[in-house]
Amino acid sequence: MSANVTLESLATCFQGLLPAQLFTCSKDGVPNAAYLSHVDYVDASHVALSFQFFNKSRRNIAENPNALVIVLDPDTGQGWQLRLRYEHSETEGPLFDRMALRIEAIASYCGLKGIFKLRAADVYSVLAIDATPEERGVIPDPQSARTAEPHAVFTMKAMQDLAERIHGADSLESLVDSILAGLDESFGFKHSMILVPTDEPGVLVTIGSRGYAENGAGAEVRFGEGIGGMVAEARKPIRISGLMRGMLYALAMHREAGQDGVPPRLRIPVPGLANPESQLGVPLLVRGDLAGVLCLESEVPYRFHEDDKASIELLGGYLAIAIENMQLHERMADAQRSSSASTAASDSIASGGVPLHTASASACARARREVVYHASDECIMVDGEYLIRSLPARILWRLLMTNNDCGRGEFTNRELRLDKSLNLPEYKDNLESRLLLLRRRLEQKCPEIRLVPRARGRFALELGCEVVLSTRG
Amino acid sequence: MLTPALAAFLQEGVGVHIGTCNARLEPSGARALAVRVDADGVHLDVFLAEVAAARLAADFTASGRAAVSFGRPVDDRACQIKGDVVSMRPAEASERDRIRAQFESFLDNLERIGIPRAGAANWVRWPAVAVRVKATSIFEQTPGPAAGTPMP
Repeated sequence: MSANVTLESLATCFQGLLPAQLFTCSKDGVPNAAYLSHVDYVDASHVALSFQFFNKSRRNIAENPNALVIVLDPDTGQGWQLRLRYEHSETEGPLFDRMALRIEAIASYCGLKGIFKLRAADVYSVLAIDATPEERGVIPDPQSARTAEPHAVFTMKAMQDLAERIHGADSLESLVDSILAGLDESFGFKHSMILVPTDEPGVLVTIGSRGYAENGAGAEVRFGEGIGGMVAEARKPIRISGLMRGMLYALAMHREAGQDGVPPRLRIPVPGLANPESQLGVPLLVRGDLAGVLCLESEVPYRFHEDDKASIELLGGYLAIAIENMQLHERMADAQRSSSASTAASDSIASGGVPLHTASASACARARREVVYHASDECIMVDGEYLIRSLPARILWRLLMTNNDCGRGEFTNRELRLDKSLNLPEYKDNLESRLLLLRRRLEQKCPEIRLVPRARGRFALELGCEVVLSTRG
Repeated sequence: MLTPALAAFLQEGVGVHIGTCNARLEPSGARALAVRVDADGVHLDVFLAEVAAARLAADFTASGRAAVSFGRPVDDRACQIKGDVVSMRPAEASERDRIRAQFESFLDNLERIGIPRAGAANWVRWPAVAVRVKATSIFEQTPGPAAGTPMP
């Protein structure tokens, strides 16, 4: 290898931001030149190339192990040629999983999941590294380097800031907001969201987001769908750089494969940037259980570095425990209040109700809302528009009906837990997260109906307009 | 062999690379700047920076073969031409505008997918060398299962 160049120092070249070029030749000396979607760094003397199709490059390698790859440094534009020798192929294990996951995540983002399979990760030893003199890089201007977007650094200070925010949270809602605000203000990750599993297996729902025009609360993704769904399915962090290039590559393959059916979807149904270039998804795991998924994204092509992934994976474990503890704490506090509560207290809640049609309507509020519960789909429509489904829908319907029938406007989490009609799971009901996403969904889609926290485990249903209830199906 | 439509695609300002190999079957390759397809649809001049040509010259002579890949960044449409190296010569001053125009068009293409042209500001474009190739086969190379199949 060149005296001063190591494979590690070329880490930015292996993010897939710019296409690489692979040169091989047959045993008869016929050269071949082909584009490569991705070169993966393996260790200080090896790289891996994805093997998806039995193409000419692959056939050449089978009979002549010599290869040459040219990669580009996206920061400077400098080209580097790596002289390679094929060693072996891996069809399982961490390297294969990492490369397969990246391909799947990009395909999934395009709505093409399952179409492109990684056959193997082909591992090559790197015999030499040389700069290509024709692709001469730009030496970064020290001044512009200083004024460039600061790279998030997991400093002790940033970690302390985030920890303080988390410790100051007194509810799941403030905890989620604190985490996202901390990632923004202390680490510089401006676009983020947290998704949690729903009571329906294999489905995640957004309970908090930051940096988007719409909060997206209640937006669902299935396991395996988009980066959040892929992270949930694999329970491993996923980092994608050069997403646009990867998508174009996937779409080109889709067209070439002559795939029919549902056209590729270029937008995810959860909050998202119009043109994300980098994404990082981290599973929030507590003792192996999935408490949620944290997703970060950026319009900067190489926003999340390898160090970021490792650091935020560590942070993910901490956040998962914080979320789990908060839910446990709220549930225990609920149970304690219930055991010491007197009948009088219950009565006072009942008598302190807010009638269905009382209103302190805001200036922009509508005068009337028609709320329809579709029993067969367990979903609620407001003025003909979808609001929410599943458990949060059952909860809202129960609140509205109780208010309508009894005039009661204050409720406790405990009474919802004891209400068999809601069918909450016995173990880990995640009621607080369901109430949080319901509250946020209402803020976004129907601000005249509000769930206002009154105290820990207690909240009020406030109505800012006339609400007409009906059921269908 | 090269239809007018394909020739137009090759010359519209796409990413171009040229590869060859030595007697030990070790491949070599470099980025090219532009191409010019002859009216006969068989011959083409591949222009590359002189510093790149210097690296490949011995292999062109030894093997007498070249593989030229073309890829359009915005949609990854790609193809590859294989052929025999007929000659190498310094590019003429009158060809400089063609090289510049095609390469600028390629950089425009990169910008359309979010890759700033500033990264290529220092790439060497002149002096250049023209490698004349007689095409013997053309292959589809757009990513996917059809990549590598001969084109009519």
